[in-house]
Amino acid sequence: MREILRLSFSLAKTNFKLRNEGSYLGIVWYLLGPLALFFIILFVKGAAFPGTSAPSYPIYLLVGITGFNFFRQSITTSIQAINANAGFLKSINNVSPETFVLSTILEAAFSHAFEVALVAVFMIYFGVPIMGILLYPISFLVFLPFVIGAGFFCATVGVYTIDLDNVWMILSQLLFFVTPIFYTVEPGTALYTVNLFNPLFYFVRISRDLLIHQSFPPVRIFGALLVAGAIACFIGIKLFESKKRELAERV
Amino acid sequence: MEGLNVQNISKTFHIRVRPPEGALGHFVSLIAGKGDTRELRVLDDISFDCRPGGVLGVIGRNGCGKSTLLRIIAGIYKEDSGIVCAPGRVMYLSGFNIGLQSRLTMRENIYLVGSMMGLKKRDVKRYFNDIIAFSGLKDFLDTNVYQFSSGMVARLGFSSVISFMSHKKPEVVLLDEVLGAGGDAEFKEEALEKMEDFINSGAAVVMVSHDMKPIRKYCSRAIFLENGKIVAEGKPESVIKRYESTIGISS
Repeated sequence: MREILRLSFSLAKTNFKLRNEGSYLGIVWYLLGPLALFFIILFVKGAAFPGTSAPSYPIYLLVGITGFNFFRQSITTSIQAINANAGFLKSINNVSPETFVLSTILEAAFSHAFEVALVAVFMIYFGVPIMGILLYPISFLVFLPFVIGAGFFCATVGVYTIDLDNVWMILSQLLFFVTPIFYTVEPGTALYTVNLFNPLFYFVRISRDLLIHQSFPPVRIFGALLVAGAIACFIGIKLFESKKRELAERV
Repeated sequence: MEGLNVQNISKTFHIRVRPPEGALGHFVSLIAGKGDTRELRVLDDISFDCRPGGVLGVIGRNGCGKSTLLRIIAGIYKEDSGIVCAPGRVMYLSGFNIGLQSRLTMRENIYLVGSMMGLKKRDVKRYFNDIIAFSGLKDFLDTNVYQFSSGMVARLGFSSVISFMSHKKPEVVLLDEVLGAGGDAEFKEEALEKMEDFINSGAAVVMVSHDMKPIRKYCSRAIFLENGKIVAEGKPESVIKRYESTIGISS
């Protein structure tokens, strides 16, 4: 396991570096996407629905966007993790296939770290106490098992179906609008009930509570996310392990 | 010390006769029953052994199952039936450009290849100077590999892989159509010497080759695979003769 983690980290670091190699803007490219979305929504919402915002709305919005972005990037790259490394899988026997899935999730986590730094800058700008940023790793670590489980599941299914990435592209759009990223959702509404089955909802909720209000959400919120993570890990990793030795034959 | 023991290995591939299908197609196939596949028996009840220090040659036409056999021994593919008993570490080698990234420098690539081959950073450091010296590329240490000629890439790949493989001291070595290296005549000669040292290092070596020269030179025994079965086994010269008469060429 240590060996898998070490190599995953090394590959994630290399791929992260390669994405910026030779680029004039470097890591700024990672931030431009979420930043552009942030300003567009802020502008549109301000123009169309003035006065219906959550407290510290810009930070509320940015935390939602960055959390969603991490999840979307992790799953998008996990789907292709095995197919993209077919050459390695067939030619090296001392690299476990798990490495390629974990390295894609780690790479998404590296990008996310830069986005969180951007959130910190905006927190200072909008006068939100910066101490909340120190609590953020808690929500990230509680969400991570779900991302890992979902990543392993999608990496396996991605080998057997060629258009899972297209399905995910549509699903992720749906997820973006269902999850209260740019709007608030009140208990008792249909949308709130739907979100009770959405792990991303719990993640953004915990992140916002910790970052903006420096308060811990109710234990049941943490519990729901941890249970979702445990179920995702059980299904995703079990499926991956059961198909592991077939993967090289299928790509 | 026991060598490599392969007992009754069989493998059938289910070859698709339709192009890869998408998620919807998969779903429909699942509901409708089995999809359109053809069974291809690649290995049929293959048994052999190779003692430590012994070199076994595997010859046969394209598609006769040579690489599949090595990948099953290496644990990359899953056997349908049979047992592979391999003492200690098994290393499969099908080329020397393992993991080289053209947009990284030579220095970065050496560390990356080391990671891919399961070495820790401190172990890579131990071999670093030897790799530089053997490759003869000291002046290009911090040059991106995309600026290398193909001969320079071959030098870098071979020097790194052979050093790291020697460090791992595998008990079983599986060579899939690799022996020497590319590059100029002088380097090819040096590389071949290194490779010979490696082959004679005491591991059980299984060597697949279409070139009969190395089979004659290095192997103590050989097997000839045809349609997934061993049709001849014994001294290299007699097995090669049988192979050449089967495919209709004269030596």
